[in-house]
Amino acid sequence: MMPQTQKRGSVNAAMVAGIAGLVIGLGMVFANLISNGHAAFNTGSNGVTWGLPVVNYVFFALSATGLAMVASLAMVFGFKEFYPIAKRCIWLSLAVLVAGFTSLALELGHPFRLLWAVPLNFQEKSPLTWMGLFYTLFLIIALLKFKKINDGDWDSSTSRKLGLAAFVAELAAGATLGAAFGMMAMRPMWHDPQLPVYFLLTAGLSGAALAVLVTYLAYGSQQNMPEKVRRLMTGAMPKVFAAVLGASIIALAARIISGLWTNADGMQVWRAIVGSPWFWLETIALLGSFALLLGSTTRNSGSIQFAVSVMVLIAVFIGRYEFIIGGQLVPVMKGAWVQGLISYTPSLTEWMMTLASMSIALVGWAVGEKMLNLSAGPEEPSSAREGLLQDRGAPHAA
Amino acid sequence: MTKWGMVIDLEKCTGCQACSAACQMENNRLPGENYQDVLYYTEGRQPTPVLKWIPRPCMHCEEPSCMQVCPTKATYKTADGVVLIDWNKCIGCKYCMVACPYGVRFFTDEKPLIEPSVKQVFKGSGDLSWSPPYKGPQQDASRSIGIQPDGVVSKCNFCYHKVSKAPKGTSDLDPDDPALREFVPACVRTCAPSARYFGDLDNPNSQVSRLISDKRGVRLLDHTGNKPQVYYLAGDAAPVVPSTRSGANNGEGEKA
Repeated sequence: MMPQTQKRGSVNAAMVAGIAGLVIGLGMVFANLISNGHAAFNTGSNGVTWGLPVVNYVFFALSATGLAMVASLAMVFGFKEFYPIAKRCIWLSLAVLVAGFTSLALELGHPFRLLWAVPLNFQEKSPLTWMGLFYTLFLIIALLKFKKINDGDWDSSTSRKLGLAAFVAELAAGATLGAAFGMMAMRPMWHDPQLPVYFLLTAGLSGAALAVLVTYLAYGSQQNMPEKVRRLMTGAMPKVFAAVLGASIIALAARIISGLWTNADGMQVWRAIVGSPWFWLETIALLGSFALLLGSTTRNSGSIQFAVSVMVLIAVFIGRYEFIIGGQLVPVMKGAWVQGLISYTPSLTEWMMTLASMSIALVGWAVGEKMLNLSAGPEEPSSAREGLLQDRGAPHAA
Repeated sequence: MTKWGMVIDLEKCTGCQACSAACQMENNRLPGENYQDVLYYTEGRQPTPVLKWIPRPCMHCEEPSCMQVCPTKATYKTADGVVLIDWNKCIGCKYCMVACPYGVRFFTDEKPLIEPSVKQVFKGSGDLSWSPPYKGPQQDASRSIGIQPDGVVSKCNFCYHKVSKAPKGTSDLDPDDPALREFVPACVRTCAPSARYFGDLDNPNSQVSRLISDKRGVRLLDHTGNKPQVYYLAGDAAPVVPSTRSGANNGEGEKA
């Protein structure tokens, strides 16, 4: 059930593209995994252990965290102007989390064993244990919350508590994912007590970018948007997007500068990273996007917002790749098998896992748009609506 | 309680790799996946490069980060101080491989080092990853002994199928003692220059304890806090691993 203002064409196209990507991606992944096992990956015990599938997982899982943050602006913190995209963000958060889980499950040696081995042997010292617990909790609570708002219950006490619980679970999950890397003292490029904060910040960035992207995919343009959505997309949303982007650029710059300056073993990988054209694509995309979001005219332009959201998502994905792969490129013990940095290029199977994850997210979103009325928001009481109209007609004097 | 540990005298080690070959035979290791490796590296540049090497088994750390990160407790430490893996619990997430500062762990399903793949030539039955033409009688998945199943991580187990059968109270597993020879890890037993010693680190009178004390035994990458139970003797002046740098930042291309 889609409102008339929504762009059916883009949803249908996303659905077709997503299904095609899913068939091609998963088909090739399963074919290669069945015939070659995990030797279909270019990972190795003497090289990069966690390859592109883990990059996919971190990108999508943190994007799910970010989308939950955007939804929480309305549902937890009371910024009501974000209600028109809250339901879409929650649903997309679930879809991208499933996309991330899929990539991770296909990367594991025994994904089904995980289902009993982790709960029955609970290792409280492992960040992975807590991350899995928190993401599973989020999945369940967010599904319940989504059911509530899908039934029109946005404001009951239970619905509010579910929203808060989902937000807390998602924050905890994203933070422990950061801790999984940040606690690794033997990997200097990763080791950082504040890494959970960095992960949450950049999660917010990819969440905001995805929220903007799907809003435009859903409606086509600002002209097709209902008044409340248009007001959000020319008001608070791009400002929040710009603020999170600016903070993320500062955080990333701090990591790069200290990485290039330090002599600590393991950090020399930063020189290789900044020497890569991908790094400069990431830099141009982030700085260019920030510049576009700083100008009031460009910030409110629909086409600019759409382009910026795509550029930021590409930049964040490159950043995740640099971080996860880069942290493994300096061998932990110098050996005869590596002269210099470890060489790693993802295999076709690994890239197909990226395609499969993207397709799952795309299909998940399109199914939601078609069947779950993702544009719905809470019904405003008539008195509140009148008050809002009065406010707009007669602005408060300073 | 016994705390098994190893001492490797780098002044005696000739880098002959007999330890690696013995480990390969004892534990049916695949090419490139030796539980015990000798790492070669060059220090300095032309015209005065120096070839160096360091033998590297699993360090069986006192505080093993691999154990702490394992979400299923598949990696565990025995009461006598050996770090083992329960292959029945391992989900193949490879977090232990990422968290090991010494790079001593292997995942089963990887591209083979040589073609044709040995695993394809000697295909395994059941859940075992391969079926070698010669195989030891021991197979205990809960203690990572024998042929590893598909989709799990493995590493040196200090030849636990031998060591765990040593008479209680043994302070040193001396390969020259006929009564103890069968209980000695394969790498220690085979070492031609007798550069390896294996014994009880908790016994101050054991040979390993005395060597560590008298010859100032050192542990690798001690700053990580893992506290290895493998010690290296490097003489008075020689640092154990002069540099862990990979070469990318060693100054190549830079002018003094």
